[in-house]
Amino acid sequence: MSRPRALENIRVVDFSWVRAGPWATRWLGAFGAEIIKIEWPENERGRLPSTTTPQSLEVNLNTSGNFNDTNLNKKSLCLNVRSAKGLEIVKRLIAISDIVIENFSSRVLQKWGLGYQELCKVKPDIVYVSMSGYGHTGRHHHYTTFGPVAQAVSGLTYISGLPDKPPAGWGWSYMDDTGGMYGAMSALTGLYHRNMTGRGQHIDLSQMVASVPLNGPALLDFTVNGRGSRRAGYPPGNRAHWPGTPLVNNYRGPTVAPHNAYRTHPGEYNDWCVIVCYSDEEWQRLVQVMGGPAWASSPKFATVIGRLQHQEELDEQIEAWSMTLGKYELTQRCQVAGVRALPVQSAEDRVEHDPQLRHREMYLAMEHPALGLHKVQSAPFKLSETPASNHLTSPLIGQHTREIVEGLLGFSHEELRAGFADGTFWPTKRARFPYMEEMLQ
Amino acid sequence: MSEAQPLPSPLAGLRILELADETGQFCGKLLGDLGADVVKIEPPGGERNRHVGPFLDDIPHPERSLSFWYYNTSKRCITLSLETADGRGLFRRLAATSDVILETFRPGFLASLGLDYDSLSLQNPRMIMCSLTPFGQTGPWRDYLSSDLLHMAAGGEMASSGYDQADAPNAPPIAPGGGNAWHMGGHFAYMAIMAALVHRTVAGQGQYIDTSIHEACALTTEAAIANYIYRGEVVRRQTGRHHAAGPTPRTQFRAKDGSYVCALVGGRLNPKYIGELADLLDSYGMAGDLRDPKYKDPAVIAANTSHIIDDLVANFIASLPAEEVYHAAQDRGFTWGVVRAPEALLDDAHLHDRGFWKEVEHPELGRSFVYPGEAAIYNGSPWRISRRAPLIGEHNIEIFGDELGLSRGELSILAENRVI
Repeated sequence: MSRPRALENIRVVDFSWVRAGPWATRWLGAFGAEIIKIEWPENERGRLPSTTTPQSLEVNLNTSGNFNDTNLNKKSLCLNVRSAKGLEIVKRLIAISDIVIENFSSRVLQKWGLGYQELCKVKPDIVYVSMSGYGHTGRHHHYTTFGPVAQAVSGLTYISGLPDKPPAGWGWSYMDDTGGMYGAMSALTGLYHRNMTGRGQHIDLSQMVASVPLNGPALLDFTVNGRGSRRAGYPPGNRAHWPGTPLVNNYRGPTVAPHNAYRTHPGEYNDWCVIVCYSDEEWQRLVQVMGGPAWASSPKFATVIGRLQHQEELDEQIEAWSMTLGKYELTQRCQVAGVRALPVQSAEDRVEHDPQLRHREMYLAMEHPALGLHKVQSAPFKLSETPASNHLTSPLIGQHTREIVEGLLGFSHEELRAGFADGTFWPTKRARFPYMEEMLQ
Repeated sequence: MSEAQPLPSPLAGLRILELADETGQFCGKLLGDLGADVVKIEPPGGERNRHVGPFLDDIPHPERSLSFWYYNTSKRCITLSLETADGRGLFRRLAATSDVILETFRPGFLASLGLDYDSLSLQNPRMIMCSLTPFGQTGPWRDYLSSDLLHMAAGGEMASSGYDQADAPNAPPIAPGGGNAWHMGGHFAYMAIMAALVHRTVAGQGQYIDTSIHEACALTTEAAIANYIYRGEVVRRQTGRHHAAGPTPRTQFRAKDGSYVCALVGGRLNPKYIGELADLLDSYGMAGDLRDPKYKDPAVIAANTSHIIDDLVANFIASLPAEEVYHAAQDRGFTWGVVRAPEALLDDAHLHDRGFWKEVEHPELGRSFVYPGEAAIYNGSPWRISRRAPLIGEHNIEIFGDELGLSRGELSILAENRVI
């Protein structure tokens, strides 16, 4: 590959597991950093349990589909860092690295002798990013999170749903994805600062705390105006405003109607389209797209206040029309006329039917030694000089142990063999994968 | 003041020009709160997001939009019409000494003014330009209109979020609120800009970045894509919990005070967990039959999953205020949380310990207001809000006059001609 990489010659020691931390280092890897994932099969969480192993394969440490997509662009070093020998080896690695990332509960790495102060002794300008549930500072630092818990405690769950129903929340760990974003953003920011000043630092990132600023306008409405979110008509489902409740902004842009999801033909589970009109002019364009039906010419729909007041009737009428069209056809008819509309898309829709994502090469296939040929997700940004790319499939567990121990750290092959024999590079009582036997030849 | 100077923030010394609407202002805020000098360039009269509510005291005014306030902290503002020749000339002068230009115009607009990356980089090859647009610069949808709701639909967020049939029959897929499509796009754009900045510290060269919000959203549904690619499964929506190929036990329980608790129990039930759960429930005298030795047998646990979750855990939570369940459970090592309305965060002692809430002064109002602060604590170069959102053209004199050397007379003429 002739193109330079943005993070050429940057090495990351990656202690992260499950989703948020690995999602962070995946992107650093896509920018060309060498990501060395430190793993240990006895307490692995991320490869197992797997609910994304193809039906045709045995579930084992190397066959999780979601692990593959989350851990592209990395190498795997199997190392028992809770042994004195393993600890020495990982410090030797950190001494020649730029960034350490970990997403253990607070204090865990400190207890292992791998806290920030300790690592400054072996690498004074290390950029050390901790991604924990509640952060290392504050009285609840020992509390733990998964995405849904961070979302609940921070207010993100509450702002999703229909009025007078339980919160609908987020149907996935949004804060694992987004916590990963903040991990990568923090590592890059710390790295930039190091390159400019020569100084590293510790970045104490909390998944729960990082969720809170995502509610900014709702929080300011409370701290400035004293208006809380426990109120009639909030959250307003997919609408900007719930009919029959006081007119207030609900923190998703201008308060307008139509602003909703509508069923489309043939009415299956994900046959929905969303339509939004930001002005009277856009509304009139929608009326034209709908064929200028008589009901739409009523004066009560001519103004934004009127459309908000008669939103129930408006939405019923629009849906009667939207049910006659498939969601992609409806989208195209609206958009060519200058009306805001897009289909609700399942994963299958995005991978198979979205013409924009296809054009942008969002899903390209890569061959994985255990999983075979499958599509993986590309980057959402195109850099003209240093493009991000997926250049490695996810590592098999311990796949690069020899390369790193002998090639990078300069241990002899005999020392590698000794490390396998004494349980430093793989548990002595655990069956080895065939590629480990090969590496010991 | 004799105290030592505060540590500089990590992006101190960087000059960013922000030409951004609602889609990109959050990315600009991140850059500004992390220390860059972000100069927001608005059209004369102000940017349209100044008209998005809620407003201070519910009085609509372009200087009173709380949404604008929130997303434009730590920025300065100049007004400038790029559709005038004078405006373009001034913009070129600013671009010549800037590190990053963040822009959210429709594809092709800056090129039509001769202000695209290829033109501007001739005079400043170190400059990085990031376009952050709904669909990117290419492809069949590149000129499509969008909104936050539209992105949550096409990006897959809605297909994953909604209700169990029992909770809300025939409910539509639900788009989580708060404008998170712009957050998703902003996070990825920030990341790409930082990668380009790091590269520039080594190579000395800038570059152009084309970021797509649709792609950012499509990347932000955790394992939904993997479920489809590796197993052909399309996930179903469930109330307050993960999408899944098949139904999973509920995780959201109503507490005594009407709030909900997120209690992740299903899928975790084993004899050890049952013992810990019995301890938790027993501390309130509500362990029921959980101490029965029969629960040493995983098969018995499996057969009683519904009893444990829907009777014992649900009744326990229903008997207590949600905050009490949250702290009692977390203190015993349970990864449970309270479902809070955002305003409840103001009472969170942990956030106060972290110095999370920030008093931000609005000197023109003679008041200060509490803002949410930073996602992370940087021990060597702080992430912090440096100032409230700028007023319209607040820094015109500072930047056009003091920096570019325009006279007051010239500024007056430019204002009269709607250039600034």
